[in-house]
Amino acid sequence: MLKVTNLAVGYGGAPVLDSVDLDIATGEFTSLIGPSGSGKTSILRVVTGLLLPLRGTIELKVAARDVGFLFQDDALLPWRTVRQNVALGLRIRDVPPNTADDQSEHWLTLLGLKGQGDRYPGQLSGGQRKRVAIAQVLALEPRLLLMDEPFASLDAIVRTRITQELLEWVERKQLTVILVTHDLEEAISASDAVYVLNQGAPATVIGHHRIEIPRPRDVLEARQHATFGPLLRCLWKELSEESTSSYTNP
Amino acid sequence: MTNKNWASTLRRSLTLLSLLALWETGAQVGWLDPFYFPPPSQVWEVMFTLAASGELWPHLGATAVAASAGLVIGLGLGIGLGFAAALSPILAELLEPVMILLNAIPRVILAPLFVIWLGIGLASKLALATVLVSVLLFFSVYNGIKEVDRRLIERIRTLGGGRRTLIRELYLPSVTAWIMGNFKVAVGFAFTGAVVGEFVASSRGLGYLLQFAQSTYNAALTIALVVIIMAFVLLLFAIAERLERHLLSWRYV
Ligand SMILES: Nc1ncnc2c1ncn2[C@@H]1O[C@H](COP(=O)(O)OP(=O)(O)OP(=O)(O)O)[C@@H](O)[C@H]1O
Ligand SMILES: [Mg+2]
Repeated sequence: MLKVTNLAVGYGGAPVLDSVDLDIATGEFTSLIGPSGSGKTSILRVVTGLLLPLRGTIELKVAARDVGFLFQDDALLPWRTVRQNVALGLRIRDVPPNTADDQSEHWLTLLGLKGQGDRYPGQLSGGQRKRVAIAQVLALEPRLLLMDEPFASLDAIVRTRITQELLEWVERKQLTVILVTHDLEEAISASDAVYVLNQGAPATVIGHHRIEIPRPRDVLEARQHATFGPLLRCLWKELSEESTSSYTNP
Repeated sequence: MTNKNWASTLRRSLTLLSLLALWETGAQVGWLDPFYFPPPSQVWEVMFTLAASGELWPHLGATAVAASAGLVIGLGLGIGLGFAAALSPILAELLEPVMILLNAIPRVILAPLFVIWLGIGLASKLALATVLVSVLLFFSVYNGIKEVDRRLIERIRTLGGGRRTLIRELYLPSVTAWIMGNFKVAVGFAFTGAVVGEFVASSRGLGYLLQFAQSTYNAALTIALVVIIMAFVLLLFAIAERLERHLLSWRYV
């Protein structure tokens, strides 16, 4: 689905990412973890074409319109209602207004925002806005879904529930997902593979782990699987070595 | 209106009324020279006569026409140029210095020039009101587009939206917010332009009456005219505010 080879990314100065290789098969759920500022968001921005790489190739097996990008911050159009915000992508694809409204209502209900459709983003809590942003992207039914820390502002219960629902939906629809997260347990319990970035700069991939927990999965039960604990300790070690080395060697 | 609003309206009205009462008494008992400080009752009488004799209306009409036509043309010109400059870097380079210069000077100093160029009729008043309004609107639109949230542009792009969607969903609403934020000021500017234009040289309008009152040292008439102009502008403000609440309803929920 997505093959990134020898990618380097920079913002004018020294590159922030170098020699990054990713290989993600169709239908695979992949998590991307790494210290803050290592370049996780930058990778997603390059994949969606918002940012041009300094070097490297990106092979994408789907059209740009089938890529959904859930941003790290939940910027919504303040002058449009929640329903209009969710319907925005559908309207851009020329879905008739009534159908678009029905579909947004469906997604809002699924994300626990039933009855909030006529409110404005400014009237919602951070977690509610995040869910509107999720609905906005999911409503387009993308083939490849890129999510940049989508659940950071949600409480533990809602977070687990939404992750579970998303997982079931992804398994059913055979979606390919790249999830950027700081939550190692979330990464392991949801993913087929985890990529670990180091601190940099430039940062690069220092770990690639496959996760052999059978599907369909339950995000809570997955944590009881025999491979869960050892992998968690392994990721923890990789990341903490990174953060100590970046302190001693700034 | 809530209780609190009532209370504050009441307090303000009482303050105003007692000031007027003090002024009236001061003039009646001779502390204030009525030549310079005619009592409110006399001002009111002048206002009443102006309105009842019908003398006021053609002047008010002339000013209102100049101001509203200036407002409309200024809005159109300012918004059009603002959009053009924001979307075309070449135009921006040409327009920005001129606009910055026009913005920096007190634009009413152009009034005598407009009289020389356009005569003492409607055209010179219109031109002044238009310049005042369009420079203000140019910057609201230009900045409104330039300072649009970059993140929202990226959202719309990744959702598949092109230039048309960007304009409809992002630029127009964001510019509307900026314009409405300055709309009341624009109404005030249009009125200023019309009245100052008339004050400088004309044969009709509130500014002309004001000029006449000043040259005859008629303080009662001068104050009456100032009050009439204030009342009229306040009325326009109220209308502008309604429009703003309607267009920016998302801000008031
Ligand atoms: N627009 C920009 N201009 C200049 N430098 C940038 C820009 N965006 C990001 N960077 C730099 O690139 C590096 C990687 O940023 P990026 O946002 O990709 O990190 P991240 O891994 O997503 O971090 P976080 O976990 O905090 O979201 C950082 O050092 C950051 O300072
Ligand atoms: Mg990030």
